[in-house]
Amino acid sequence: MLDCLTSLRELNLLSMMLRVVLAMIVGGIIGFEREKKGRPAGFRTYMLVAVGATLTVILSQYLDLMLNNRWAMTAEQVGIKTDLSRFGAQVINGVGFLGAGTIIVTGRQEVKGLTTAAGLWASACMGIAIGAGFYECMIIGTLLIVFSMKLLPLIENVILRHARNMSIYVSMDSMENLGGVVGYMKASEIQLYDVEIDKANEHLTHINALFSIHLPKRLQHTEVLAKIATMDGIIAIEEV
Amino acid sequence: MLACFDFVRDVNLLSVTVRMVLAVMCGGLIGLEREYKRRPAGFRTHILICLGAAMTTLTSQYLYLNMGMYTDVARLGAQVIAGVGFIGAGTIIVTKRQRVKGLTTAAGLWTAAIIGLVCGAGYVECAIFATVMVLVAELLLIRIEYRFAQRADDMNLYIEYTDANAIEEIVRLIRERHLKMRELEITRVSNETDNVRYCAIIGLRVSKKQLDEEITKSITEIKNVTTVEEL
Repeated sequence: MLDCLTSLRELNLLSMMLRVVLAMIVGGIIGFEREKKGRPAGFRTYMLVAVGATLTVILSQYLDLMLNNRWAMTAEQVGIKTDLSRFGAQVINGVGFLGAGTIIVTGRQEVKGLTTAAGLWASACMGIAIGAGFYECMIIGTLLIVFSMKLLPLIENVILRHARNMSIYVSMDSMENLGGVVGYMKASEIQLYDVEIDKANEHLTHINALFSIHLPKRLQHTEVLAKIATMDGIIAIEEV
Repeated sequence: MLACFDFVRDVNLLSVTVRMVLAVMCGGLIGLEREYKRRPAGFRTHILICLGAAMTTLTSQYLYLNMGMYTDVARLGAQVIAGVGFIGAGTIIVTKRQRVKGLTTAAGLWTAAIIGLVCGAGYVECAIFATVMVLVAELLLIRIEYRFAQRADDMNLYIEYTDANAIEEIVRLIRERHLKMRELEITRVSNETDNVRYCAIIGLRVSKKQLDEEITKSITEIKNVTTVEEL
């Protein structure tokens, strides 16, 4: 622990203000990364969540301060003081709900918004640490969160691009067209793991299929998509 | 701690009034800004949430300080934090285009509730400072936010073409420029006559903005492509 910060570990007017401002800055930095990617939770969302989380712990410390000074007499009579982490503990819960709202399951069986929810939750937890005056955790945590959000997607993309497994969602006119798609996959040595077929609607004639496939080395994802798109009877195609 | 606020630190008629009025004011100020932007949760929603939250911490302190009852003064208020998360989640909607809306409203409502807790607990300095900072975030930083949003390096192209083979050409063209394709969605639209049209939505990651026009132009030049538009 850094000794130079000792004076700021106690709760007073200065450290309270500092923590709120720090929470805003840290929330802003994390939100900035997400904003640049055009994700739903931006700058202000992260900031608000981080500030809120920080306030809960500051409030706990304030109550503790009161119970040890001004209200000390009553505290002794009643025989209970507050649990310092009670407010903060609910943040972990509450922001989980908030995050759940950002997670969507699209009509194509794909889950979106999970990283947004997780990032929001992580920055709330960071806010708790800031509110507690745990400045070292804040510095290292911010660096690591930004690192994971900025650099890891690059690695993830490389992995995804070279991933041999892919899922494609195809809408087609009728069952007969399925043969064409499967035939093409056989011909290009694509392994078919799983096909999920659902008749979208009884009134509609078209069917939807979700293929889970394994590509041979030379094939690119986009190549496969473009090829299937040119086949007869294909209405829509998308990688999920 | 400022000594001038010491009169609100005990629970009596004056301090209860001050704390609750302060909660209404803090919630109102945050809500006013939302209302002004015509967001679903406005003035009254924020006031009610903020005031409700203030009453929980206030009640705890009343039970503890005035009645001398055995309770943790943080227990009631703590549940507010989780509970308002629920209400906030209700304001989040998913539009038909699979975009999430209302997240900032939800986060703002949640923060307003916590400021309400602080008001109710009698930590006046903190409540005022936090309200000012939230307003700064809402009023000043939104300009910065919009500037970043415009600089987003994602680009969505909407392409219409009449011959199915054109898509292979387009994909090749994009690959030649070493651009990363985020998504590719192709839909066939057939009329009652024999005219078949295809629509493709392509998500690209563009490193430099000046490339945009060049890509759009060269895709337009591909045979059988009828429309190219940036979304």
